[in-house]
Amino acid sequence: MTKTRNAARASGVVATVSIAALLVAGCTRDSSAGGPGADDSASPGITDDSISIGISSPLSGATAGPGSCTIAGLDSYIEAKNAAGGFEFGDGKTRQVDFTYLDDVYDPAKAVSNFRQLLNDNMFAYVGALGTPTNAAVMPIAEEEEVPQVLLTTGARTFSSDQDAHPWTTGFVPTYATEGRAFGELLANANQPLTVATLAQNDDFGQSYLDGLNEAIEGSQVKIVASATYEPTDTTLDAQVTELAASKADVLMSAVSVTPLQVGVLTKAQSLGWLPRIFLPSNTSTPGTILQPGGAAAYPAVYTPSFSKNPNSPAFANDEDVKAYNDAFQKYGSKIATTYTPHCAWSYAEGAVLDQAFQGMKEPTREAFMTSLKSISGFQAPLLLDGITVDTTTKDDAAISTVQLVQYDGQAAFKPVSAY
Amino acid sequence: MATTTAPRSTTGTASSATARWKGIAAVGVLAVALVVAPLVSSPYINYQLSSIAVFAVAILGLNIVMGYTGQVSLGQSAFLGLGAYIAAYGILHGWPGPLTLLLCAVVPAVVGMLVALAAARLRGLALAMITLALPIVGVPLARRFDEFTGGSQGQVVSWLRAPESIGLANDQWRYYVVVLIAVVAFVLARNLVRGRIGRSFAIVKENEAVALSMGVSPYRTKVLAFTIASLLGGVSGFMYLAIVQYTSPETLVFATSINLVAAMVIGGSASIVGTVLGAVYYVLVPVLAGQVNSSRTALISGAVLLAVLFLLPAGLVSLPRRLARLRSSRGRPPQPPAHPTTSDEAAQPASAPPAATTDQHS
Amino acid sequence: MSYFIQVVVDGLSNGAIYAAIALAIVLVYRATGLINFAQGGMAVTATFVAYALTRVGVPVLLALVVAVVFGFLLGALLERGVMRHFEGGDPDTAVVATIALLVVLSGLSAYFFGYEPHPFPSLFPNRTIEVLGVFVSLRSIGTITVLLVVMIALQLLFRSTKLGLAMRAVADNPRSSALSGLPVSRLLMIGWGLAAALGAIAGVLVAPQLFISPGMLDFVLVYALASAILGGLDSPIGAVVAAAFIGVVENLAGAYLDFIGDDLKIAVPFIAVIVILVVRPQGLFGRKVTVRV
Repeated sequence: MTKTRNAARASGVVATVSIAALLVAGCTRDSSAGGPGADDSASPGITDDSISIGISSPLSGATAGPGSCTIAGLDSYIEAKNAAGGFEFGDGKTRQVDFTYLDDVYDPAKAVSNFRQLLNDNMFAYVGALGTPTNAAVMPIAEEEEVPQVLLTTGARTFSSDQDAHPWTTGFVPTYATEGRAFGELLANANQPLTVATLAQNDDFGQSYLDGLNEAIEGSQVKIVASATYEPTDTTLDAQVTELAASKADVLMSAVSVTPLQVGVLTKAQSLGWLPRIFLPSNTSTPGTILQPGGAAAYPAVYTPSFSKNPNSPAFANDEDVKAYNDAFQKYGSKIATTYTPHCAWSYAEGAVLDQAFQGMKEPTREAFMTSLKSISGFQAPLLLDGITVDTTTKDDAAISTVQLVQYDGQAAFKPVSAY
Repeated sequence: MATTTAPRSTTGTASSATARWKGIAAVGVLAVALVVAPLVSSPYINYQLSSIAVFAVAILGLNIVMGYTGQVSLGQSAFLGLGAYIAAYGILHGWPGPLTLLLCAVVPAVVGMLVALAAARLRGLALAMITLALPIVGVPLARRFDEFTGGSQGQVVSWLRAPESIGLANDQWRYYVVVLIAVVAFVLARNLVRGRIGRSFAIVKENEAVALSMGVSPYRTKVLAFTIASLLGGVSGFMYLAIVQYTSPETLVFATSINLVAAMVIGGSASIVGTVLGAVYYVLVPVLAGQVNSSRTALISGAVLLAVLFLLPAGLVSLPRRLARLRSSRGRPPQPPAHPTTSDEAAQPASAPPAATTDQHS
Repeated sequence: MSYFIQVVVDGLSNGAIYAAIALAIVLVYRATGLINFAQGGMAVTATFVAYALTRVGVPVLLALVVAVVFGFLLGALLERGVMRHFEGGDPDTAVVATIALLVVLSGLSAYFFGYEPHPFPSLFPNRTIEVLGVFVSLRSIGTITVLLVVMIALQLLFRSTKLGLAMRAVADNPRSSALSGLPVSRLLMIGWGLAAALGAIAGVLVAPQLFISPGMLDFVLVYALASAILGGLDSPIGAVVAAAFIGVVENLAGAYLDFIGDDLKIAVPFIAVIVILVVRPQGLFGRKVTVRV
C-alpha cells in the first residue's frame, strides 16, 4: 500500500523537478542561439558595447593546472584591456568583453554540456579551450551551429590541419608534431650517425611527437633504436627508462606531459648512469618545477622547443611585455590559477590575437570575426619570442607554426641552440 | 498532498484508491511534460534533459545490481563506454540504427555475463575489485585497438539528424529517441523488479543462505543481475553517442563509475524513481556548481553530496517521507532523531539496512 | 640478467608505493569493516600539512611528525563528525559518504595549494647505489624499510594488543561487541585516526616521487585497493606481499611480453588478481569467512 502512495508522491517530485527545471531555464526556442538576430544582422552575443566570449577547460582534476592557466592568462589580458577602456573593433565601436569560463573536468560530455550552456547564454565565440577529447567533442556542434571555436590550446593536428573541412575551428599553439619535427631537424642536420630512444605518452600527444620526429629524420643517419610508451595514469616510468637505458642511445626524446613523471625520467636515467642528450616538450620543461628538481644539469644538453617568454625567468625581467603580463596576472589571473604553467603565457598571447581579430572585424557577425581572425599574419603577439609570429592565413596549420629550439643553461633559464 | 502526512499504518481501501488515482494522474502529468518539454525548451535544456535520460539508464543498471541485489559494482562506466564504441562502429559502418541498438544491448550483456560467471561467487570487496578492473583495463584497451575505437582522439559520429518530414530540430529529435529508449527501459525494469525475479534479487540481497533454502540460486541470480546491469549500461552507451555524438577513452574512465555509484545512492537505492532523481542529480549538480563558482566545482559538488547524504541517508526519493515525518512530529514532544542506534532500528533484524526504501519492502 | 634484476627492483619500488597506501586501507578495513575512498584524501591532506611546513623551513622529519598527529586528529574528527552518522546504516551509503569526503578533501587541498603538482623534499638522500650492476635508489630502500617497520607494527597491533583485538571485534560485529562491553564508538574513532595517521606516513613517503597534488593518490589508490584485496584485506603482511607482486608482475609483463607492451601492462596484475580471487576468494593471506544464516 505504501508502495503506491510513495511512488505517486515521488513521481510528483519528478514532475515538479522537471517542470521547475524548465521554468528556471526560462528560455523558449525563439531565443535560442544560432537563430537570426532580433533587429539587425548582428550575431548573438554582440551588442554595440559588449561581446561575450566563452571557454570550457578542466578546472578540477588532474589536468586542472594547465586548464586553469588557459583561462587565467586570457582573463588577465581581457580584464586589463576592459579596465583600460575596452576593445576597439573594426566597425568603429569600442566594446567590453564579457568573459565566461566553465569547468569540464576533461570530460567530453561535460564539455559539450558547457558549450551548449554558453551558447544558450548568448556566447559570441568559444576561445582557447584546452584538451583534445573535449574539443573534439565540441567541434561538430560548433560546425553545426556555426559558432567560432578558435585559438584552441591543444597541439593536436585535427583542429588545424584541414580548415576547409572544419571552417569554424582553429588551433593556437604549435602542433606537437611541429615540436617533434624541430628536434628531428636538429639531429638530422648534425650529419653524423646518431641513435635515439623515444618515450611517448600513449595517445595523440605522444604519437604526434613521434610523427614529427620521424618525418624529420627520414633518410638521415639518425636511427631510433628503442621506444617505450606510458599511460598518463602511471605512477612511475622507472621501468620504461630502464628499458630505454639498455639501448645506450645518444639521445632521448621524452614526450611526457605529466610533471612528476618527467622529473622521474630525468632522475632515473642519470641514476642508471645513462646520460643522453635530452629533448623535452614545451609544456614540461619549466626550470623551476621540472629541470631543477630532476637534476637536468647533469645531462650534456637538454633541449626544448619554445615560442613564448617565461615571465618568471630573470632573463626577461625587464621585458615590457613581461611586466605588463605580470601586472595583469597579479591583478586578475592569479585568482584563477595559482601555479604557473606555460599555458598562462600562451593564453595571454592568445588574448592579443583575439584583440587583433576584433580590430579587423568590419561587421558584428561571427562570419566577419572568422574572416578577420583568419587574415592575421606576421603579428608579433606579446610574450612570443623574437622571430615567432602569428600567422592564421594557412589552411593547414595552427596560428603559431614555428618554434625555436632552446637549451637549458643549467640554472633557471634557456639559451639559444647553435647546433647539435 | 494532504494524505502524505497520514501515518503510515492507515491502509484503508479508500485512501489506497485515492493514492492510485493520484499515481495515475502524476504519471499522466509526467508523460505530458516529457512530450511537451523539448518543444518549448532551448537546445541546451534539451541536451540536459537528454543527458538525464542517458545517465538514468546507466544508473538504472547499477541500481539493479547494487540497490536491488546488493552486489557492489564499480565498473558500470566500462559498459557505458563499450556501448558507445559499438554504436560508433555500427553507425560509421552504415549498420541500421535498430540493429546497432540491439548489439549495444547484447554485446555488453554477454561481456557482463562472462565477467559475472567468474566473479559472482565472490562478495563484497573482492567483487568490487573485479568490477573496478573493467574500466582500468578498458581505457588502455580502447587506446590500443584504435582501428575500432579511433584511439585516444576518439571518434566524432555525426548522426541521428531529424528527418526532414517531421519538422523537428536535431536536438528535439535526439531527445525523443533517447527518452523513448529510457522510458521503455524503465517500464521493463519496473516490471522486472516487481516480479518474481525482483523478489529473488531482494532475497539474495537480504541473505544468501535463506535464498538457497527457498530454492533461489544466489549465484544465478547475481549473474542475471550483472547481465541486466551490463545490458542497460550498453544501451546507455548507445544513448550517450546519440546526444554527445562523440566517444573516446574518457567516456569509460573509472571516475565516471564512482560518480554513477554516488548518484545512485543519492537518488535512492532499490528505487525506480530514485534512479531518475539520481540521474537528475548527476547531470544538474555539476552545472549548478559551475554557476556558483567554476573554479571550485569539486568542493561544491562534494559538499552538496555530503549534505544530501546527511539529510536524506535513504536518498532523494525519501524526501517526501522525511518531510512527512518532520511535519507529523511537529507539535508533539521532540522525538529522538533517526540515529542508527536508536531503538526503532535496533528492533529490525541485524542484516536489514535501516535505509529500507520505497519499492522494495512493500 | 642484470636487466632482469633491474626490472624486478624497479617493480619492487613501485610496489612499495602501492603497499604504503594498501596498509592504510587494511588498517581502516580492520578497524571499521568499510572500503574507504576517503583514505587517499586524508593522506593527501595530511601530506599537504607537511608540505606547508617544509616550505617554511621545517625539517622533513619534524613535518612528518606534525602531519601524523594532524592525520590522526583529522581521521578521528571525520569519523566522529561525519561517518558516525552512517554507521549501522546501508553500507553503500557509508561508502558514498567516503567518496564525498574524498571529493571535499581534495577540493579543499586544491583551494589552498592548487591542482599543479609541487616537488616534495625526501626523507632520504636522493642518491642511487649500484649493487652488482643493479641500481637502487636510497629513497626506495628507505621507503621499503619504513613500510616493513609499519607492517610489523600493525601485525603486532592486531595480533597481540588489546586495542587491536578489540578493534577487530568491532569491525567484525559491532553489535555483539557493544553487548560485550567494548567502547565501540571510541574504537571506531581511533581506527579512523590511526588509518589517517598511517596515510600521512604513506603520503610523505611517496610524495617525493609522485609530487604533491590533490590528485596524487587517485590512481595509486586503485593499485593499493587491488593489493589490499589480493592480500586478503585482513593482513598487513598480505597487503605488502600483494603490492610487491603487483609491482613486479606489471613491470615484467611490460618488459618481456611484447604484445602486452607498456600500455596494457596494467592489465596483467589485475587479471592475475581476478584469477587468484576466483580460485581463492579470501585472498592470499585472508581468513576464510563462513556465512551464517
